[in-house]
This record gives sequence, structure tokens and C-alpha cells, in this order.
Amino acid sequence: MDKKVVTFSGVVKEFDGFKALNDLSFSINEGGLYGLIGPNGAGKSTAIRIMTGLIKATEGEVDILGYKPQDADVRPLVGYMPQEMALYQDLTVRENLEFFGKLYSISKKDLKKRIADLLDFVELSKWDKTIIANLSGGMKHRTSLAVALLSKPRLLILDEPTVGVDPELRASFWQRFEDMRADGTTILLTTHYMDEARRCEKIGLINHGRLIAEGTPKELLILTGTHNLEDAFLSLARRKKEAKS
Amino acid sequence: MKLSRALAVTKKQFLTIRHDKRTLAMMLLSPVMAMLIFGFAFGTSPKHLQVIVVNNDKGGLASEYINKMDHDVLSISTSSDVSVSKDKVSSGDKIATIIFGSSFTADASPTKSGITPRGPIITPAKGAHINVYLDTTNQQLSSVVSQSIAKGGQDLAKSKGSKSGVSVDVSYAFEKAKDARYIDFFVPGIMAFAITLFTTLLTLLAFVGERVTGTFDRLRVTPATETEIVIGYEIAFGIIAAIQGALILTVALLVYNIMVVGSIALAMLFVILVAIDAQAIGILISAAAQRESQAVQFLPFIIFPIFLLSGIFVAVKSLPLWLQPFSYLLPPTWGIDALRDVMLRGWGLEHLWPHILILAGFAVVFTILAIFGLKRSRNQ
Repeated sequence: MDKKVVTFSGVVKEFDGFKALNDLSFSINEGGLYGLIGPNGAGKSTAIRIMTGLIKATEGEVDILGYKPQDADVRPLVGYMPQEMALYQDLTVRENLEFFGKLYSISKKDLKKRIADLLDFVELSKWDKTIIANLSGGMKHRTSLAVALLSKPRLLILDEPTVGVDPELRASFWQRFEDMRADGTTILLTTHYMDEARRCEKIGLINHGRLIAEGTPKELLILTGTHNLEDAFLSLARRKKEAKS
Repeated sequence: MKLSRALAVTKKQFLTIRHDKRTLAMMLLSPVMAMLIFGFAFGTSPKHLQVIVVNNDKGGLASEYINKMDHDVLSISTSSDVSVSKDKVSSGDKIATIIFGSSFTADASPTKSGITPRGPIITPAKGAHINVYLDTTNQQLSSVVSQSIAKGGQDLAKSKGSKSGVSVDVSYAFEKAKDARYIDFFVPGIMAFAITLFTTLLTLLAFVGERVTGTFDRLRVTPATETEIVIGYEIAFGIIAAIQGALILTVALLVYNIMVVGSIALAMLFVILVAIDAQAIGILISAAAQRESQAVQFLPFIIFPIFLLSGIFVAVKSLPLWLQPFSYLLPPTWGIDALRDVMLRGWGLEHLWPHILILAGFAVVFTILAIFGLKRSRNQ
């Protein structure tokens, strides 16, 4: 049986009476690449905030690598790249990486090596002494990804990781994600690039806080009789609406 | 220029305020609060200043003198022990001890020392005098006490039809502070105020900035705990405050030649404690602000109470009695008091450990509240 890294069981999250997540259930196997896909306001970010322990579910159970999301022990095992840049604007690229590396208690020697490797990967070696505020949006995004990868996490959570990244570098990102998967890292990402979503091993389509369908990209296309994931999503959302009315 | 476009900007601003109820409340409350505190702090003259009278007079004139003193301004207790009374001034419990000698009445009256054919020999009065043992480290209070004593003497002389008053011999509880100027009294207050203002503002903006830019969430998914984050900030702002305090002190010493009787290192310790309290307050307040613009609106609620109630300009003991407990809830009140004790009285740890405990206590309580506030947001 596959080992589950992420399990959401009947998760509800209410904000002032509004259900941002409504009985959300899904799971991700170890080494999986799972895409949580949905329109704005569907509940993707809320699910991620619960997964990272930033907020608590109102109802339901969440299990991350055998821990509750708010357990301190799970934090070194999870890498997180938020949708916003979430970097210290007045620090340089290297200073940001060094700071977050120290929070993960990475030894000085290891940290130096990892930073060099990551800067090379995100193609920012020449910009390592540049203040974040002076970088372009894409460069900030690449720095943010580098920070998320610093701790060599077992679970990597990426919220819109390729926004503002040029196609060539995007391809390199995906290659890196595939390599990490091969090394056993589990990846959950959100994206609104449907062509990218096709590269996920499994997709969860989320709308109004509920999972409306789940499967491999191929399964979802067959299920809806469509040719692309965007149409598949629209078709499934329409069916749910009709079933409700 | 098109007026309609300018008015569109005006309207937009009012709409923004209307949608942000907190801004609206702050805009209306802060000037009212400022004026109320200002009025209470500056609108009342010092009252109930604690002095001790040691009345050894064998006649009744000293009692009359005491009755002539303004009992609203001076809160007079009596003692028969000069040494104990002086100790109470030296320890800061009382502002002055007024000592009437045993011959006070006799010295004030002419005496018959014999009879001659022309009539009695009248020896003129030696002139009555009192000894006042005074704490001058708070100029505002000591001058009010001095004036009250002098006026009591003048009123007594007037009532007796005498032209000469009562001479007052003043000795000082803190000899080095007898020449203290207003600026000597003022600088410790400004130091604590400046450190509180800078540190609260910096922490407030730093924490709100962390929330706005998302770095705070990123910090919280790392193994760093809320306690580590808050302590990390405390260390940083403690160091910054020490540097700022050192700069303020250097300028005060070099430019204004202010008085520092005690240990500069101890003064710096109090500056750091005040800063730690201030940064914890900053973190606490930051929880209530979503944006930098909201954070700034909290500042009047920090600045005015501290500026007016913590003893920078107006001694806490001069404030209305009902207002004084609020002063003691402000950490800078204790910081300013301690800084004055160090700089003007020359006191050391043997006197000031309670201040350290209180400021550290504030720091511990505020830090725990700040950490608790940060942790609580995880459970929302």
C-alpha cells in the first residue's frame, strides 16, 4: 500500500460563517506530484494554509507525514513557497537564503553548498548580492523557490510556483520537480496554467471548497470527454451546478 | 486644473475612511484623548507633596507656622526623629523634612534681659529659622515645596505684624544634584521617551511589514517558534536601543553637559529594559493592524499617554491622584524614574533593583502576551 504523505479527511474551514473549505478530502502518496487546480476563491490557498499549519481546520482531520500540521516536528520536513514573494526586500538574495537556512539549522558548510547549488539552479548566481527590491518579478519568484528548496523537504508545497517565470526556466523548474520526485520528495502545487497541470501525476479539481473531481490528467479528460484540462474543469463545474439545482 | 478630478480624490479618501471603521474611530478618538490627557497633566498644579515636619519648638509658633502652610499642596506628616525623617528623604519616600528647633519661638521674639532706670533692656529677636532637608532631583516638586515653606513663613510674619520673615537653611539630600538644572531633570525622560517611541514604531512597522509581505507566514512554516522570533526581535531592538541610548546620552553630555552622578552602564541597562518593553508592546499592537497605515494610527495612543503621564514633563506625583495609577501602568514611567535616580541621585542596584524587577516583569508579561498573540493566530 502506498504511503500517504498528505491526507485531508472531511476538512471544513469556516471564516465568519463562510465555508472556504467544505468537506474537502484528498490524499497524496509519497513521491507524488499532485496539482490542486481551481479558480480564484476555490479554496486552494486555504487548504495550503491548513497544510502548513498557519491556520487550523474547523472540522475534519489533516495528516502531514504522520503529524498534525501544527506539530513543530513536521516543519523541518515541509518546504513552502507562497504565492506572494515573501522575501525580505531589503536583504540580498544570498542574505535571504542564509537567513532561512539558519532557521532550518543547516550547518554552515552545508548551507554554503546548498546555496551555491540553488543559486545555480534558479540562475541567480550572478545576482546573489543584489537587494531583493531591485530584482525583477521573475527573479524574486526564483529566489522564493530557492528558499523553499533549502531544507531538502520531504513535502514541497508550491503555491503558483511558475508565475512570472519565462518558458525556458519554467521547463527547468519542472525538470527539477521531476528530479526531486525521483528522489522521493512529494510535491503539491497549485497552478492556473492548465498546460502545466497536465504534468502533474494526479490532479484535484477544487471549486467552492469541495473536490469536484480527482484523477490523472488523462482520466479527467476521458471522464469529461474534453481535450484540455480547462474544458474539463468547466464541464465538471457545470455538472456539479446542475446536480445541485 | 479640473476641480472635479481633485474632488474625486477627496471623495475617494473619505470613502476609504468610511470603509475602514478603525481609521474613523482613531481619527475621532486620538485628538479627544490627547486633549483630555494634556489638560489633566498640565492643567493641575502639584498637590499632596509629601513632607515631614519635626517640631521640637518649645513655644507655639512652629505650630502656627505649620498651620499657615498650604495643606493642599503639602501632605504633612510629623515625626520626632530627625535622622529617620532625613532618611525618608534620602530614600526618595518624601520630598523634604522641615525641622523646627527647640528655640524657634524664642528666637522669633524679643526678650527682656534686665531693667535700667530708663526701662527694660530689650534684646532684639535673633530671628527664627528652620532647617529644610530637601530632595532637589525633581526640580518641579522641590521648587513647589520650597515656595510653600517660604510662603508659610511670610504669612506667619504678616499675621504677627513682623517685617522679618523666617530664615530657611536648606541642606540637600543629594548634594551633587543641588545644582541640577531643568535639562538634567528633562534628559532622562526624553531618553526613555525617544527609545520607547523609536522601538515601538520600528517593531510595529517591522511586524506589520512581515505580515503584509508574507514573510511572517514563511517564518512560521520554518522550525522557528514564535518564542524564538519574538526573542530574536527583542535582542535586535535591545541592541539598537542601547546604541540609540548611548547616542542620546553622548549628545546630552557633550552638548548640554548634563549631570550623570551614577553609573552610565546602569543607565544603559534601564534604556535596554525600556526598549524591550516597547518592542513587546509594538508586537502586541501589530496583531491588531492589517496594514502599515493602520499601524501608524495606533501611535497617538502610545505617544500621548507616555508623553504626558510618564513623568517626562510633569512629575507623576503632581498628577491628579486618580490619574497616577495609570502612569504606573506605563513601563517608561518606571524607566524614567530609574534613569533620574541613576543620573541625578547616583543610586545603584542596591536602591534600584525593584525598578529592574518591575521593568523586567513588564517585559516578561508583554513578551508572553506577544508570543501568545502570535500563537493564537495559528488556531484561527
